[in-house]
Amino acid sequence: MKIERYDMIVIGAGPAGLSAAIEAAKKGIKPIVFDENEKPGGQLFKQIHKFFGSKEHKAKVRGFKIGEELLAEAREYGVEVVLNATVVGLYPEKEITVKIGNEIKHYKGDAVLVATGASENMVNFKGWTLPGVIGAGAAQTMMNLHHIKPGKRVLMLGSGNVGLVVSFQLLQAGCEVVALADAAPRVGGYGVHAAKVARCGVPFYLSHTIVEAEGEDCVTGVVIGQVGPDWKVIPGTEKHFDVDTICLAVGLSPMSQLLKQAGCEMSDTKGGYVPVCQEDGATSVSGIFAAGDVSGIEEASSAMIEGRMSGATISCYLGYITEEEKQARIKELEAQLDTLRQGMFAPKNRGKLVEKTEEGIAVSMSLLENGYVADTEIERYPGVTKQEGIHPVIECTQNIPCNPCQDACPKGCICIGKNITSLPVVSKEHKCIGCGMCVASCSGQAIFLVQENVEPGFGEVTMPYEFLPLPKVGEKGIALGRDGKEVCEAEVTKVRTAPVFDHTNLLTIKVPNDRIMKARFYRGENGQQSAK
Amino acid sequence: MMDIQEKLKEIGPYVEAEDDGMLVCRCEEVTKGEIRKAVHEGIFTIEELRRYLRSGMGLCQGQTCGKLVKGIVARELGVAPSEVEPASSRAPMRPIEMEILAEDGGVAHE
Ligand SMILES: Cc1cc2nc3c(=O)[nH]c(=O)nc-3n(C[C@H](O)[C@H](O)[C@H](O)COP(=O)(O)OP(=O)(O)OC[C@H]3O[C@@H](n4cnc5c(N)ncnc54)[C@H](O)[C@@H]3O)c2cc1C
Ligand code: SF4
Ligand code: SF4
Repeated sequence: MKIERYDMIVIGAGPAGLSAAIEAAKKGIKPIVFDENEKPGGQLFKQIHKFFGSKEHKAKVRGFKIGEELLAEAREYGVEVVLNATVVGLYPEKEITVKIGNEIKHYKGDAVLVATGASENMVNFKGWTLPGVIGAGAAQTMMNLHHIKPGKRVLMLGSGNVGLVVSFQLLQAGCEVVALADAAPRVGGYGVHAAKVARCGVPFYLSHTIVEAEGEDCVTGVVIGQVGPDWKVIPGTEKHFDVDTICLAVGLSPMSQLLKQAGCEMSDTKGGYVPVCQEDGATSVSGIFAAGDVSGIEEASSAMIEGRMSGATISCYLGYITEEEKQARIKELEAQLDTLRQGMFAPKNRGKLVEKTEEGIAVSMSLLENGYVADTEIERYPGVTKQEGIHPVIECTQNIPCNPCQDACPKGCICIGKNITSLPVVSKEHKCIGCGMCVASCSGQAIFLVQENVEPGFGEVTMPYEFLPLPKVGEKGIALGRDGKEVCEAEVTKVRTAPVFDHTNLLTIKVPNDRIMKARFYRGENGQQSAK
Repeated sequence: MMDIQEKLKEIGPYVEAEDDGMLVCRCEEVTKGEIRKAVHEGIFTIEELRRYLRSGMGLCQGQTCGKLVKGIVARELGVAPSEVEPASSRAPMRPIEMEILAEDGGVAHE
């Protein structure tokens, strides 16, 4: 039996695995990375939205681009990436078996990093096995990789970031999202993600779960109902929707079986079945490491940092760098990880209701319960100011680790400061020139430009717009509010696209002066834009 | 380790529930009722359940139903899901054709 030997074997070419391989390759190691997919990049390859974070975390870059950048970097440093290669066994001696084509190949590494990511959770309800009930990940694969619409009318279950992001992508693909339901009483994901779904007119049903998927051979409808404190559906609260697709985004579970197989000490936590790991990725079995979602579900940004940490640790373990060098690098990376793990969505706040922002401002309850900030709440945030002339209105109301808006403004109108989770503040001292860079760079599509009195009685609202076909200048349609309901008639006065905007178009509409703080989305008169 | 006899007394007999007919493990077509019944027959660990009902032994290797099965067993036993003993992990991690598996290790025709 032939066994090929490598210094370092990485299982999984997602952000964690690739980052680890790059880090180690920079130190002189020649790692080999296996991935069962035909495309490297893991989850990133399905993510067409702009990411949060700061520059070091590749904020405002779209997910799949981050994947491409990582891959290019891996190639540059001589990392060997083997695709269509499923690792089927991992043994304590750091030997792995890999299915490649019709063969099982054996490899042995001095160090093995498991970065296999996570798989989607499912829920059971009557009819859940009907065709038409799909995972959010599957929906993303269909839309973003194969350009197929998963269905015409969709109900989304799950209000975490995955449910919110995929709902928006379904709208972009031209599907109708009839409702977004979640058994939890509050929206789980970022408010800015929720707001962009809500203003397209998608109703949120919190404290609701699926009672039943209807249909004989495939899904033709769905019934949801309100859950009581015992998580059971309250009789009489059932609501029916005609749908052909039910999309489930009810969480992810680490794919940690290989680690267990190798004899690593495991722990059953709220976040899933994970290896007991040190922060640098070392498991209880010497030479076997874990990084990314497999060691606890987080984000691509944290997966990349964790990957680099493991890469540094493995470099030291294999003698390519000294213990001191490793410690210095880990310390630097820990600091980065720390900034990401701050704010309202920090791991320590999971499941808790945070009522005030770090600035002491009351959090919008409407945002948590309906998916949008109510008109009466919006003015309490420091990104929302009243000024003469054109100026930005930043509807980013939760402390999230994100700051590209600050870097985007050439005039210094927007300030977040040292603390990356602080709310963006709009300064009245600096004069906005209406360039739109902030609007396009906001990963949460939460920035609008408003201007009163562009002509007597009428003002303009500029919004980020990522739907096709693009409305035309002069066209008339309907302005929608934060809640997705009609606000007034609107006329398209400008449509701007530019390479620097990276596919976020800037749509400007003209509405009466007293509507500029209400109009937040646009629907063409014939309604051909995907959002209904 | 749980005392099986004691636990069985504690949880009482199996009582049919409305959604017992619901499929939980779709690969091996195991229903919620079958899993609940098995618990009342003294099957308390995921490993035993896999052997007894084949839940989680199909094409997806429990990727889809693993968590759900665990939840049902836990609820039936009145314990937290983390207290249910998980199954051991064995190679192969993914379904593999016997033909390929058989040739592993160079028993090949060449
Ligand atoms: C809809 C959605 C939106 C998201 N939005 C954001 C966001 O805005 N910002 C952000 O930071 N994060 C976001 N994330 C999260 C982010 O994508 C993940 O946290 C991140 O990809 C985890 O990286 P990873 O390397 O650990 O795992 P993955 O990216 O899951 O990569 C794991 C890889 O391992 C491979 N693999 C698994 N098992 C095997 C095996 N046995 N053999 C061979 N290969 C194997 C898989 O094929 C996969 O390619 C989002 C996720 C989703 C689903
Ligand atoms: S439009 Fe331009 S100048 Fe005005 S706030 Fe945004 S980035 Fe700054
Ligand atoms: S406003 Fe700034 S901090 Fe908020 S989501 Fe947009 S870019 Fe990020």
